[in-house]
Amino acid sequence: MNRKNFITKSGVALGGGILAPYILPSGSLFAKSGSQKADHVVLVMFAGGVRQQESILGRYLEDSQGISGAAGNIMPNLFEGNAPTKKIAYGTSVSGMPAGSEPIPKLLTQSMEKSGLLFPEVKAQSAGHYVGLNTLLTGNAGTAQGLKVRPSYPTIFEYLRKHAGFSATDNWFIANGIGNSTPLLNSSNHKDYGLNYGANMFAAPVTFSGAGKEVLGNAKTYSRTDLEPMYFMKNFLDQSFALTQDQITSISNTDEERTRIKDFIKSVFEKQQAGQLAMPPVTDTGDAVNMMYAAEVLREFKPKMLAVNISGVDSCHSNFTGYLQSLHRADHITGWLWQYIQNNIPEMSGNTIMIVAPECGRNETPNPILDQNDWVSYDHSDANAMRVWSVMLGKGVPNMRVGSSAQPVGRLTDIVPTIADIFGILDPVTNAGLIDPMAKSLYNRI
Amino acid sequence: MRNLNKVIGLILFVCLIGGCKKEQHIGYGVENTNVYEDKSRKTKKKNDAEYISILYTNLYQTAISPNQLYKTQNVLYSIGDQDVASEMLLSNYFNTGSIQMPSNTLMRQDVEAFVINTYKRFYLRYPSEGEKAFFKQYILKNSAVSVEMVYTAFATSDEYQYY
Repeated sequence: MNRKNFITKSGVALGGGILAPYILPSGSLFAKSGSQKADHVVLVMFAGGVRQQESILGRYLEDSQGISGAAGNIMPNLFEGNAPTKKIAYGTSVSGMPAGSEPIPKLLTQSMEKSGLLFPEVKAQSAGHYVGLNTLLTGNAGTAQGLKVRPSYPTIFEYLRKHAGFSATDNWFIANGIGNSTPLLNSSNHKDYGLNYGANMFAAPVTFSGAGKEVLGNAKTYSRTDLEPMYFMKNFLDQSFALTQDQITSISNTDEERTRIKDFIKSVFEKQQAGQLAMPPVTDTGDAVNMMYAAEVLREFKPKMLAVNISGVDSCHSNFTGYLQSLHRADHITGWLWQYIQNNIPEMSGNTIMIVAPECGRNETPNPILDQNDWVSYDHSDANAMRVWSVMLGKGVPNMRVGSSAQPVGRLTDIVPTIADIFGILDPVTNAGLIDPMAKSLYNRI
Repeated sequence: MRNLNKVIGLILFVCLIGGCKKEQHIGYGVENTNVYEDKSRKTKKKNDAEYISILYTNLYQTAISPNQLYKTQNVLYSIGDQDVASEMLLSNYFNTGSIQMPSNTLMRQDVEAFVINTYKRFYLRYPSEGEKAFFKQYILKNSAVSVEMVYTAFATSDEYQYY
């Protein structure tokens, strides 16, 4: 090799050595198309079907049950407005008093509406749960989305892993159970994205249930020295079998990440045993339990992106009182999660944006089912079920109210481009051409 | 009437005698042989219930109860990374101490036989020469490698998920 050749090749090798580590899974060298607005995003999928009337509009029993003078806000952590004063049934029960007559004290000193960006009238793209959840995570209206299959379009987790170079443990989806196809939401089956870019997931109330403890809780704690040969042999076997892309059925982590997740699961069981898990002051619903485990994941992994699903309000199909109680508790646990991040996770405090939005609304007219208070119930299938809201707060988020009942602004498909915008990858996500063409970053809706 | 009974009896007797036939022994010249899987033919993924029940039977040499199977299935489904889930499940099993497996001493007495038996036990096939050489060399060179480690690697591997 002559001197010129040597210098050329050395230069190429050196350049490659410097640049190669920064090449993203998407193949591009630079991820960011815009400036990053925060390091962490927490999306609360305030799901189950929430009527505008009892949430953002603060109408309590006035509209739904026709009880005059019974309006009021039962979501004090999210929205502004005085609490109802008549027929209080959404709180906790105190002995000697009517059931549910004690509202849960407000946790946040300032409501999310007052400290963040509120879109009070947003258009949902579906009146169904699964398609609605898909909309929140894929930014696509997903009208042809079937149940029991993964989303057809890439989720925000996949966009972030592919275009922003996030690792699997940077992305978490905390599902509230294993029913209704919810555990499939951590990744799409899209050919250009898919499980290789999916998020880690726990259906936490199942993973950390009594059965979970029985199946996983007695697992040995292997040392790194033990794990190394196991993974070495397993990796040899896997390479030898060589699964093709379409045969992959699970997301995967690096050996190091897997070890960390296993240690985390064990630590949660230990904390459970010792009664050391942080929990909202009122933890009497499955949603509250799920939020508690979401907080544990946040504390341990400090993920860049975490989405947590709740759905207790769906009891509204047959129990309006239960719906009001779930709505009040959903507000309580959402406020608690935000407070927990600010007070207990210094790495995320002041550097996180939280987005809260339901996946669909509920009907304007009731079904004939009466509950214990003789209040009518509501399904979700009419135009009112396409009315929702969204609220966003945290680092650098302006305090504004955009739109009104008379002038809706925004679509539920806006959530994905908004998160992409926060992490500076709005352009690649938009250019992939897989989100709703009418979707926009909420920053661009202002 | 009595005659009629006799006639019927006679007919039945004749039919019985006439219906008897000497048994024929037919041989097709098929030789007994052991049938093993082929890696390249494993294209179907075991579902969760299949994976759990096969694994349980393999390790404990007894069938899993339906209740235990149902619980295990739900818990595994609740975890996004299936490798994490199955590694923890296995580790939980190994902690019970009642798994049917050879001792580490036995493994080291005849590593080649152990490797072949492990391939047969988990993959229902013989290892290729390359596979056999890899495991033999790896186990012999690393004194810390235990049967439990090898079984964990096999039971959580991709090939064990297929049939």
